[in-house]
Amino acid sequence: MKQELIDFPLRVMFKPFSSFWDLKYDNKGSIRASIIIIALTIIALILQKQFAGFLVNYTDPRLINSLQDIVTVVVPFLLWVVANWSITTLMDGEGKFTEIVKVTAYSLTPLVIVYVPLTFISRYMAQEETAFYYLMLSIASLWFVWLLFVGIMTVHQYTVLKTIVTMLLTVIVMGIIVFLGALVLSMLYQIYDFLYNIYRELLFRT
Amino acid sequence: MRIKKFVTAIVLASVLFSTALLEAVHAGTPYEAYNYNYWEEAVASPAAFVPSRAVSGQDLGIGPFVEPNDMVIGHDGSIYVADTGNKRIVVINAQWEVERIIDSAPGIGEFGTISGIFVDADGDLYIADSGLSKLIVLSKTGEVRLVIDKPQSDIIAAGFKFTPTKVAVDEAKRMYVVANGVFEGIMQFDADGSFLGYIGTNEVKRDYYEIFWRLFSTKEQRSQMVLFIPTEFSNLDIDHKGFVYATNIDLNSLTPIKRLNPSGEDVLKRYGYFEVRGDIRYRTSVGPSIFVDIKYLGDGLYSALDSNQGKVFTYDAEGNLLFIYGMLANQAGTFKTPVAIEYDGENQLVLDRAKGNINVFKPTKFGKLVLQASRLHYNGYSEEAVPIWQQVLDLNSNYDIAYIGIGRSLVLAKQNEEAIFYFKQGMERDQYSVAYKRYRREEMKEQFSTIMTTIVILVIVTAGLMIWRKLRRNRRKAAVSHSVGRDQAL
Repeated sequence: MKQELIDFPLRVMFKPFSSFWDLKYDNKGSIRASIIIIALTIIALILQKQFAGFLVNYTDPRLINSLQDIVTVVVPFLLWVVANWSITTLMDGEGKFTEIVKVTAYSLTPLVIVYVPLTFISRYMAQEETAFYYLMLSIASLWFVWLLFVGIMTVHQYTVLKTIVTMLLTVIVMGIIVFLGALVLSMLYQIYDFLYNIYRELLFRT
Repeated sequence: MRIKKFVTAIVLASVLFSTALLEAVHAGTPYEAYNYNYWEEAVASPAAFVPSRAVSGQDLGIGPFVEPNDMVIGHDGSIYVADTGNKRIVVINAQWEVERIIDSAPGIGEFGTISGIFVDADGDLYIADSGLSKLIVLSKTGEVRLVIDKPQSDIIAAGFKFTPTKVAVDEAKRMYVVANGVFEGIMQFDADGSFLGYIGTNEVKRDYYEIFWRLFSTKEQRSQMVLFIPTEFSNLDIDHKGFVYATNIDLNSLTPIKRLNPSGEDVLKRYGYFEVRGDIRYRTSVGPSIFVDIKYLGDGLYSALDSNQGKVFTYDAEGNLLFIYGMLANQAGTFKTPVAIEYDGENQLVLDRAKGNINVFKPTKFGKLVLQASRLHYNGYSEEAVPIWQQVLDLNSNYDIAYIGIGRSLVLAKQNEEAIFYFKQGMERDQYSVAYKRYRREEMKEQFSTIMTTIVILVIVTAGLMIWRKLRRNRRKAAVSHSVGRDQAL
């Protein structure tokens, strides 16, 4: 557990190419660790919203909702994974579903590593130093995107260009999935409404 | 026993009725007082001004006011009402008695349509008569001192018709005139009536959507489109420094209130949480605030009258919204068509054109305290303002400006830790940062020895550990190599 949850993510951060290679061919990393990393990301985000310093915290304390924070991480994660898997299946990607899950989850490590201490430090910052806070946040995000990029490239054995195209397509597909989901939901609701109306009609007919 | 019951009943009844009476006395305002908090939500607040009386023409015994258009209070406390429909100006003294009625000017005759009036420090009365197209200045004794009917200048077109609607005068007797059909800004006249120029043009905003469509439209279509012309000013007032407070009625403008310096630049401070534009939240069917009058209250404070919703917005010198009162309705203390607002040093007076009366609003304890504290703060007496802000907070614990006011005074008194708390309550980040930096530096200075000791100890311990580990590893390696050597040997 220590190996897959601490050593391996740290190696992923600094040597993404070889680590993701090991993830694919050496079966490094685990789904269990991935779930823990996602949970840690959620916790880091919640902590940031709740405890970041006054000067950088623009969240309305009355609107903090941890359940919503969980949804805002988990839903895009699942969407990304499913969309990426769908796209890469069509585009000769070699990655398996579990590999995509693991790669995406392990890419989140920099967010966890940066957010938690930064939240703590931000409490001791003055206005001029908040630039540093935002710089670190951007670095963490870019780092995450970089890891995700390398990971997707490695597990699918893609070229650079193909990886970029795939990632953009994945984002589009995420949108399509959301759209279809909304469509299906509204259709289901209408069917339910229709049946319910028939039921009521029968009820009052006697 | 029965008598006892009877007495108790009477006592209880009297208590009941007296409280009922008390409640009737303290009956709320016809409008709901509110203010906006940091999150731009309208939250309930104590009323700052409550209606105290409404005075109509009948009450004064001079027949009803007919479509009165403007009102001004002179330096001696008398109230001048431009009773436009009756073609007269009514002067009311501070005891609410009619002092005199001005219905004509010597050499000019009857007034046409009096749109705006102003009284300067010497008691000279300035009348903007849009019906006669004249600006008439009457001295205190009633003689015509000056008439402006055709301003002469190279920058005024030949066929220009001068239709003054509002006028204000500064201490040097320079006249600032808002005129109909003038888009260049406010007309400025010298004391002897010569035209000086325009100040404070309202800028035309570019509408990129319109520009885009203009690219694809034919000349005929383009000629039918709306012309982009700057909006006109609606009213103005002068502060003690001779700066002009002006309102315009551009619906989409974020700066409907301007403070123009002598060279015509807008120098209004807008350091509050949001724009100085009246209501920041409104129904789209109702629309934003439309300011028709503005009154400078002294010490950087000003009240602006919104005719769209019949509200009066009062701001301080830094653009913080202090309080809001008023509404459109039929009850006493509400408006139908408010046109002018005045301030007599304590009460605020609002002239209603449709109702033909003057509504007098007197400040509540809350309103008085807020104004007093703001005035002290403006004049640099931050420390003296603190106990007043504390009282304000007792009445309204949501009053952010009070927290910030206290915080500022605490910073000056070098009580940074307390100041941090107050700035956080008032959601004032810049000031918070200043106070926090000072507090942090003090703490660092104070705790310097502790911090350094901890760091030194930590360094020594870590170094010691590393050395110890290295030594142990070396020893083990030596042992392993020794054993390996022995195994090989065996």
